[in-house]
Amino acid sequence: MASRIQRIFLAALACLPLGANAQQDDPLEPIVGSDIERRDIDEDMLDSENFEIGVYGGALGIEDFGSNAVVGVSLAYHITEDFFFEAIYGVSEAQKTSYELLSGAVEFLTDDQREYSYYNLSLGYKLFPGQAFWSENTAFNTHFYVTAGGGNTEFADNRYATYSLGAGYKIYFTDWFALDIGLRDYMFSHELFGEPRDTNNFEGRLGLSVFF
Amino acid sequence: MPNLVKPSLLLLLLFSAPLHAGWLDWWSEDEPLVVTVNSAYIDVYTGPGRGYPIFYALEKGETITLLKSRTGWIKVATARGQEGWVKRDTMADTIDSTGEPPDFTDDYRSDAVVGQFELGAAFGDFDGADSTTLSLGYRFTRNLTIEARYGEQAGSFSDSDVASLGLTHQPFPEWRVSPYLGLGAGIININPSATLVDTEDREDTVWQASLGTYVYLSRRFFLRLDYTNHYLLTSRETNDEVDEWRVGFNVFF
Repeated sequence: MASRIQRIFLAALACLPLGANAQQDDPLEPIVGSDIERRDIDEDMLDSENFEIGVYGGALGIEDFGSNAVVGVSLAYHITEDFFFEAIYGVSEAQKTSYELLSGAVEFLTDDQREYSYYNLSLGYKLFPGQAFWSENTAFNTHFYVTAGGGNTEFADNRYATYSLGAGYKIYFTDWFALDIGLRDYMFSHELFGEPRDTNNFEGRLGLSVFF
Repeated sequence: MPNLVKPSLLLLLLFSAPLHAGWLDWWSEDEPLVVTVNSAYIDVYTGPGRGYPIFYALEKGETITLLKSRTGWIKVATARGQEGWVKRDTMADTIDSTGEPPDFTDDYRSDAVVGQFELGAAFGDFDGADSTTLSLGYRFTRNLTIEARYGEQAGSFSDSDVASLGLTHQPFPEWRVSPYLGLGAGIININPSATLVDTEDREDTVWQASLGTYVYLSRRFFLRLDYTNHYLLTSRETNDEVDEWRVGFNVFF
């Protein structure tokens, strides 16, 4: 607020003598002179685009429960040119295990219990920035990234603490619109088959995102 | 039911507040931010990162329009309409219409985040269970922040989630490492694991007392360390106490 008042004050100070002189010298000058506005520029006046929101879809291999379609949303905050912070939420549905299919009648889980959702908070690191040439005159900015983080998975009426590792490739069609080709591994341990079992659940996905 | 009404009213207050803080300015057309290059040259990159190629060099005396920023980079347009990215630090090598470099300070200013929202995410240990917490706060004075938090815990014997509303106070907001005290209240839901025999869900009121610190990493980005003591008012004979330790990040926007 103080700086705004200062700015107005400075602008008023700067403009006053200009206008007065101009009127004496040349009748055309006030019109030109009034366009010249003196003002301090500070960072808060500049639009920042550090947030990124996106949607993605792909295939999620739920260990023992088949390969399944997955869709999700993501929100990222770019901290520096190297690091970003990412929150994602995805949903999928588990198929029957091989055992359930072969035995015919056995059902481990109800339909509701097969619903699978997860969220994850990760720290990401961008590497190998560069340009990809799509034609002689068209180049898009690109970079790879790796992520590591954690969150929760809701599956079979339980919540599982989940750790994740990921990597991906990003292509920027414009400064604010990007395509993401990514791979994630969600790791958690469950006891659905009677004893603790560590699982790796791989996800391959394609996403679109916009910066704001 | 009255338990729910209070938090929702406060949330409404929380979300209506920024209307007074200049959010409406977003829709008004701003004048272009024009600066003049005041050093021998400034490199222009194709993207907001030091690894992208330099395709142009701005000359001394050239005027450029600042378009937007991303992390430590600023997108500029030249008088001829070429667009590219320059490092934020190079703003010190330019002058605005007052003849001074524009104000791109690296210093954290505690007054600059007043009237701003802060979004946070944290991981922690909730009495042995892994916890994940999301928070949304609104800083209404230099010292005081009102904050809504939602945390989920995944333990070996039970899962739980805590939704709460609290107030934090930072006695020294201008410090780089700025401690805070917090008080809050909310609701905890405890669901014993489905594999256990006793699967009765419980919902209790919880009081929270926190002690922690913000550590600022950049102008708008903070590391946050937190210890919270949860005091569960149970329907049983004794009340429960749970200690939670968290580390997370907060960003102001």
